[in-house]
Amino acid sequence: MEKKFYLTKKGLERLKKEYQQLKELRKAKVCGKEIPKILHSEDVNPEYLAFQEDLNFLEGRIADLEYILKNAILIKPPPKEKRNVVNLGATVTLEEKDGSINEFTIVGTLEANPAEGKISSESPVGKALLGKKIGDEVLITSPIKVAYRIKKIRYNLS
Amino acid sequence: MKEIVDFLIRVNNLKEMPRTGWVLMDVKRPETVAEHVFGVAILSWLLGEKKRLSVEKLIKTSLAHEFCEVYAGDITPVLYYPRLPKNKTKRKKVLMKWARLLEKEKEKIGKKKFKIEKKSLFKLIEPLTIELKKEILYFWLGYKRGLIREGKFVRQINRIETLLQSIAFFGTKDANIRTNWWEWTEEIVEDPLLLDFLKIVQKKFYEKKLIRLKEEKELESILNFFWKVQELKSMPRRIWVLMKLKKPETVAGHLFSVALISWILAKKNLDREKILKMALCHEMPSVYTGDLITPFRIRNKKGEIFQKWPRLPQAEKVKIFFEDFKKEKRAFEKLTLKLKPNLKKEMISLWEEYKRNLTPEARFVNQANVLAVLLQALQYKSKDKNLPIEWMWEWAFEKCDDPTILEFLSQIQKKFL
Repeated sequence: MEKKFYLTKKGLERLKKEYQQLKELRKAKVCGKEIPKILHSEDVNPEYLAFQEDLNFLEGRIADLEYILKNAILIKPPPKEKRNVVNLGATVTLEEKDGSINEFTIVGTLEANPAEGKISSESPVGKALLGKKIGDEVLITSPIKVAYRIKKIRYNLS
Repeated sequence: MKEIVDFLIRVNNLKEMPRTGWVLMDVKRPETVAEHVFGVAILSWLLGEKKRLSVEKLIKTSLAHEFCEVYAGDITPVLYYPRLPKNKTKRKKVLMKWARLLEKEKEKIGKKKFKIEKKSLFKLIEPLTIELKKEILYFWLGYKRGLIREGKFVRQINRIETLLQSIAFFGTKDANIRTNWWEWTEEIVEDPLLLDFLKIVQKKFYEKKLIRLKEEKELESILNFFWKVQELKSMPRRIWVLMKLKKPETVAGHLFSVALISWILAKKNLDREKILKMALCHEMPSVYTGDLITPFRIRNKKGEIFQKWPRLPQAEKVKIFFEDFKKEKRAFEKLTLKLKPNLKKEMISLWEEYKRNLTPEARFVNQANVLAVLLQALQYKSKDKNLPIEWMWEWAFEKCDDPTILEFLSQIQKKFL
């Protein structure tokens, strides 16, 4: 069975853009043309710098992206009546007994970046949160349990 | 070559950079960034091989993932806990829990961290050749952004390795306050194999349960092996201890250097994966034997150590070599005893190849080892002019014949002498 990749609209657009730009880069390299200027700008896309020199790296990334885009599933906001349940794409606000607040957005594996608050639905924390409703108690770590109450769930999937 | 020498000297400083998290927690002898990198590389190799990932890419990603700290420093705890109390007890209490933040705050901190680290990395690699620069960037971004499978895997190993180090430092008894490393780890680990590995960590350290299933036993053997090898992070290199250096590099720090030099200098006609593996395991028997410095064993007794490179008849050299060789081989067999037979066989054969200088890869890593020692010595010497290291040049010129290594030696001669 082929693996499915759940992506937010923003994530999907970013990958499509990267795919197009890498293809453009490959074309330029194969034809011996000058590399398009935009690809030089590290501020815009630092990733491309890493793939500029080595055609194998470039081909590998293009093949990965093709596979991902072929198997991508867009994460859509659930119908209104189901927005009180944690699902992919939800930003969950959690409250601990002492009143401290923690927040996570649940995303697919490709967009996970816990350093920026985005955690994978396949991580233990992500799994513990999926399916929970506002007001539910949730234990999110092991072996040392941390108890939270789900305070808020929101979907900002534009 | 001058640029590469400067690059390696700068990255070598990671051996003296303690990880901020441990410093803030008042750990007596905090692990350095380089020692952590060594741990990540070993764990990535052992577990990544089971996933059929490229071990060459895993090790290179591990080595590169903290390059950005050369200039940026280890900034994670500082950014995620911006208002830490100055009082030590209060500070420890806060740090025992992973930071609670709003998503917006996390995003802001994460982006800021990436920007600072990227700037630092670019500054570090700027003088290198385009080819090397791109390769380093490929692995660093592969890790930071999860752009390659190996990078995504090492990102998860990075957390597990830190979790294991926290257990080594603080134990598991006082469960109520030590959520930090578990929470942090369980936010990122999603690979099924690594989740299973975490279950073994729980069973071993928290539940004290016996492991019975075959698959679990294999993961347990990796954990036990790693747990033992981790001791190299706190084993100072004996040569520097004998020279009475304060806070000398550890065996793990040295292995980090040899692996790094091997990556940066190895020519493409050599088996890169083999070289990196060999570099990482060539001193592992030290776990049981201590850090042996074979050529000086006899001289040390006579009190003539470090004045000159030992002059010995060939037969005596061979005799000493084999005495230590046997001791080390027994130690390595003991260390790898419970590992899967093919992994055990590979490790021992890599080590033996290295010790006996049997293959082009072994000859290269042996020479990379000389460079690592010499470079470290010269860096120490620049802080203490009386350090007796002159004999090392004789040793280096006796052992090295690889043209790239010789070019490197000549470059450091120019720089330091």
